[in-house]
Amino acid sequence: MDFVTLGGNLLGTIPLGDIVLYLTPFNLFLFAVLLGFTLLIALSKPETQIEATMHTLNNTEVKVGPKEFKQRRFLSIICGLASAGAMITGDLFNFTLFMALVGILNIGIVSAVKQTSVLNSAFNYGLIAMMCSLPLFGGASIILAATGTLSLAVLSQMPASPMVVFGAVLMLIGILGESGVAPFFASKAEMFRTAGSPFIVIIHLSSLFIIVRAVEILLLVLW
Amino acid sequence: MNLMADILINVIIAFLAGSLLLGLHRKVMARVQKRPGPPIVQHLIHSLKFFFKETAIPKTVSKVFYIGIVFILALVWIVGVIAGPVAHDSLLILFGVYAVYKIVEHNSGSSSGSPYGKLSCVRAVLSAATELPLFAAIVFVYLITGTMNIGEIIAYQSAHGPLVFTIPLAALMFFMLIITKSPYSPFAITKDKALISGFETEHFGFLRGFMLFSESIAWYVMLWVFLTIFFGPLNAVGYLIGMIVISFVTGFINATTPILSPNHSVMTQITIGAICFFGTVLMIFTGVVA
Repeated sequence: MDFVTLGGNLLGTIPLGDIVLYLTPFNLFLFAVLLGFTLLIALSKPETQIEATMHTLNNTEVKVGPKEFKQRRFLSIICGLASAGAMITGDLFNFTLFMALVGILNIGIVSAVKQTSVLNSAFNYGLIAMMCSLPLFGGASIILAATGTLSLAVLSQMPASPMVVFGAVLMLIGILGESGVAPFFASKAEMFRTAGSPFIVIIHLSSLFIIVRAVEILLLVLW
Repeated sequence: MNLMADILINVIIAFLAGSLLLGLHRKVMARVQKRPGPPIVQHLIHSLKFFFKETAIPKTVSKVFYIGIVFILALVWIVGVIAGPVAHDSLLILFGVYAVYKIVEHNSGSSSGSPYGKLSCVRAVLSAATELPLFAAIVFVYLITGTMNIGEIIAYQSAHGPLVFTIPLAALMFFMLIITKSPYSPFAITKDKALISGFETEHFGFLRGFMLFSESIAWYVMLWVFLTIFFGPLNAVGYLIGMIVISFVTGFINATTPILSPNHSVMTQITIGAICFFGTVLMIFTGVVA
C-alpha cells in the first residue's frame, strides 16, 4: 500500500541520505499538532493543583518547584520533538528509536515528583516499556532481515511475507507496551495524577499520536 | 465553489446541525424520563449565550494551556470538517482529530488545577479504551475497500452496497464510540456528574462557548463519518434522517442507562470491542464477507 492511499496526496519528501522523511496531509497534521503543543509547553507555567486535606477543612496546594519545573519542561520539549520526528519519518528503525526515546522521556517527566503513587506507576510503566522494547526492536530487525530494507517507501511496495507479518505483529506488541495504551494503560494512568499539566499532556499526546502513526506504518508494511 | 466559502459553509452547517441534534438528543432523554425537557434549540442558544458572558479565569490555572486548549479544540474539529465533509480526505486524519480531542479532554481538565478537572483528566486516560475499537473499525473498512480515502470508500459502496451489511460488527464498534461521546452516556466517565462537569468544570464565559461550539461540530462530524463510511452514498436528506435517527437512538439508550463506574465502563467497552473484532475476523476468514 502506498502513502497516498493511506494519508492523502504526497505533499513532499525530505531526502536525508537513505532516510527519507515524507509529508502527506495526515503526517503534516500530526507533525504540526505536536510542534504546536511543544511550543505551548515551552511557553507554559504549570498550574497549582488544589487537593483536599484529610481531617481538616483546608486545601493543600501542590506546586511544581523551580528546579523540577526546568527539568520537566526540558524533557517535555524533547519528548514533543521526538514524537514530531516519529510522525514524519520514512524509516522503520528511526520510528522505533523515536518510540523508545518517547518511552524513556515519559518516565523522566514524572521521575522528579515526590508522590509515591506516581513514582510507583512510572516504575511499573518503565518495566513494561523495557520488556516491550525487545519485541519493538526485534520486530523491526526481523522485517529488515526478511526484506533487506527499512525504508517505508520501499516496504510499502513489497508483498508481505510470513516473516514480515511476524515482525509486524511483534512491533505492534512493542508499540502497545512502549506507548502504554490499552491494555497497558493501567500501569500508566496514575502517572497523570501529579501536578504539571503542560508536562503530563505530552505523555498522553505522544502515546496517542504514536499509536495513530503506527497504524499507518503497519498498514504500509503489511498491505 | 471557492474552497474557503465551502469550508465556512460546512463549518456553519456543522455547528447549527450539531447544536440542534444535541438539543434533540436532550429532548428525547427528557421525554423518555417523563420530563418536558428544554426546547430543541436550547443547546444552540446556550452555545451562543456563553460567548457574551463574563469570563473568569481561576488563579490556579496554567494560563497558556487553559486558554489555548479551547481554541485547539475548536480548530481541531474544524480540521475534522475540512478532512471529512469538505475534502473527503483520509480516514486516518479523522482518527488523528479524534486523538487530539482526547488530549483536549485531558488537558482542559488538568490545566485548571481543580480536583474535579484532574480526576476527569485521569479518567480521560482510562477511557482511551474506546480508541482500540475505533482503530479496529477503521482497519476493517480499509481491508474491505482497500482504501482510507473517504471519497473512494463512498465510490466502493455505490458499487457494492453499504458497508454496514458487509461488516456490521465493525459498524457496531464505531457506533459504540458515538454512544461514548454522546451527552449523559453510560461510558461518559470524564463528564460524570460526580465530577461536576468534568474537564469543563472550570471553563467559563467565552471559553465555555468555544467548548460548546466544538461539541456541536464534533457530534455532527462523528455522525457524518459513521453514516458516510457505513451507509454511503447518501444525499442531504439521507444524512439528515440518519443523524436524527442516531441522535434519537443514543438519547433513548442514555436516558435508560445509568453511568457506569470507570472500571466497568472500560471493561464493557473492551468486551464489546473484542467480541465485534473477533466476530468480524471470523466473518472474513469463513468467507461470510466477500
